[in-house]
Amino acid sequence: MNKTAALFHRCGPGLLLLVLAALSACSTPPPETTHKTRLVALGTMVDVDLWGVDDQQAATAIQAVQTELDQIYQTWHAWHPSTLTAINKKLAAGDAVTADQATLAVLAKARRLSIDSGNLFNPAIGRLIALWGFQSDERAQDRPPPKQSAIDRLLAKPPTMEDLVINEQTLRSKNPILQMDLGGFAKGYAVDRAIDRLQALGIHNAIVNAGGDLRAIGRHGDRPWHIGIRHPRQPGIIAALDVQGDESVFTSGNYERFFDYQGVRYHHIIDPRSGYPARGTLSVTVIHPDAGTADAAATALFVAGPKGWRQVARHMGLTQVMLIDSEMRVHITPAMKKRVFFHGKKLPEIIVSTP
Amino acid sequence: MITRADTLVIAATLLLLPTLFLAYWGNHAVADTAHIMAADGREFTLPLDKDRRLTVNGPLGATTLEIHHGKIRFIDSPCRGKQCIHSGWLSRGGDFAACLPNRISITLSGRENRFDSINF
Repeated sequence: MNKTAALFHRCGPGLLLLVLAALSACSTPPPETTHKTRLVALGTMVDVDLWGVDDQQAATAIQAVQTELDQIYQTWHAWHPSTLTAINKKLAAGDAVTADQATLAVLAKARRLSIDSGNLFNPAIGRLIALWGFQSDERAQDRPPPKQSAIDRLLAKPPTMEDLVINEQTLRSKNPILQMDLGGFAKGYAVDRAIDRLQALGIHNAIVNAGGDLRAIGRHGDRPWHIGIRHPRQPGIIAALDVQGDESVFTSGNYERFFDYQGVRYHHIIDPRSGYPARGTLSVTVIHPDAGTADAAATALFVAGPKGWRQVARHMGLTQVMLIDSEMRVHITPAMKKRVFFHGKKLPEIIVSTP
Repeated sequence: MITRADTLVIAATLLLLPTLFLAYWGNHAVADTAHIMAADGREFTLPLDKDRRLTVNGPLGATTLEIHHGKIRFIDSPCRGKQCIHSGWLSRGGDFAACLPNRISITLSGRENRFDSINF
C-alpha cells in the first residue's frame, strides 16, 4: 500500500464526512426573494407575498391592493355605515333600492352561492348575527347569548337569499327580516379582487392571505408555495400542502371568533336552521380556484357538519374538502387526501369519502 | 486492522450523527424567534430563549407580552374580547396570535421557516 492510499484509508471516512458537510452547506436555501408585506385591511391583518418583483413594482402593487381592500371594506361592511348597511336599511323599510352593476354583481354571486349551498351559507341572516352580538368590533365576553324567544322571532319566517329579487338596476326584498351580512363571502371576494389587481400589474407569483384565508398564484421561484393549515385545537400546524398555479385555501373554524358564557362556548358560525352556533364541526378547509366560492363553501360545509357536508359539497361542485369534526376525526375527499400531509406525532383518524 | 486514527474517525462520526440528525430530520416545529408587528408598521424580532416582558402600544393602549422558556403569550391587552389572551402560549414555528382590536400580532418562526403562508 503506498502512502497516499494509506492516508486515504485512514482518513477516508473523515473526508467523506467533510464532503457531506460541504454538500449540506450547499443545500441551505438561497436568500429571501419574496417581498413580504403585512397590511391592516378588512378589519384584520392581510399578508401579501410577492415573489420575484423589484422594490418599485412591489410598492406600487401593495398600494393598489390596500386601496382595493379599503374600498371593499367601506362598501361591504355589515355594521359600520357602508353601501351594504344603506341597502339593508332601505330593504327593511320595504323600498326598492337602486344600485350599480358592480354592487348587484357581488350580491348576485352571493345569492347564487347561497342557493347552491342549500341556504347553509346564508348572507340573509344579518339580524340573527347581530342578535348574537357578532356584528360588533368587540363583543363583550360577559354579554349573555340571546333569548330563545328572540331567536324564534327571527326564524318564524326564515330569510334566505331567494327572498332577494335582483333586477337590472334594482333590489327588492320579499322578506322584511332579510338583512344582509356578507361575512363568509366578502373576505373571499376581497382576496379575489386583490389578486386581480396584482395580475393586472403583471405580478403572477403571489399570495394574498387575509386573516388566515388565502389565494396563491404562480410559484415561489422553482418550487410551489408551501402552506400550513393550523390545528383547530392546539397551537401549530395540523397539515401541510403545496399550491401552485391558481388556488384558494379557505378555512372556517370555531376558534376564530367566540365567547364563553357560564362555561359554554359560543362561536360565530350560526346555523341558519337552528339560529344557534353550528355543532359537530371544529373546522372545514376548502380548496377552490375562486376565493369567494371557497369562502362561502367553507362556511356552508361547517354548518352542514360531519353528516351533511358531502351532499352540500356535491351541490356546490367541490372536490377538495377537509372537515375536522368535534371528535377530532378528519373527514376528507380523495382529491384533498392526495395532497395534504399531516403533521404531529399522533396522526388523527382519517375518513376518506367521496362527496 | 483498525488503527487509532480509524477509532478517532469512527468516534467522531458517531458523535456527529445525532447532531446531523437533529439538524436535518429533527423537530423543526420548535420556534426560536418571535416577530411582533404593530399596526403602524413597527416590527420587533425577539429571541425566545431570553425571558422577558414587553409592552407594545396600539390604538387602544398598551398590550403586554411575556416570553418564558421558549414560549410567548399575550398577558394583558386593553381590548374587550381578550381573544389574544385566550390564544395562550405559542411555541412552534408558524404559530400565530393577534390582538386585532389593538392591531398587534405575533408570528413565530423556527430555524427553518417551512411555510410561506398559514391558513386558519
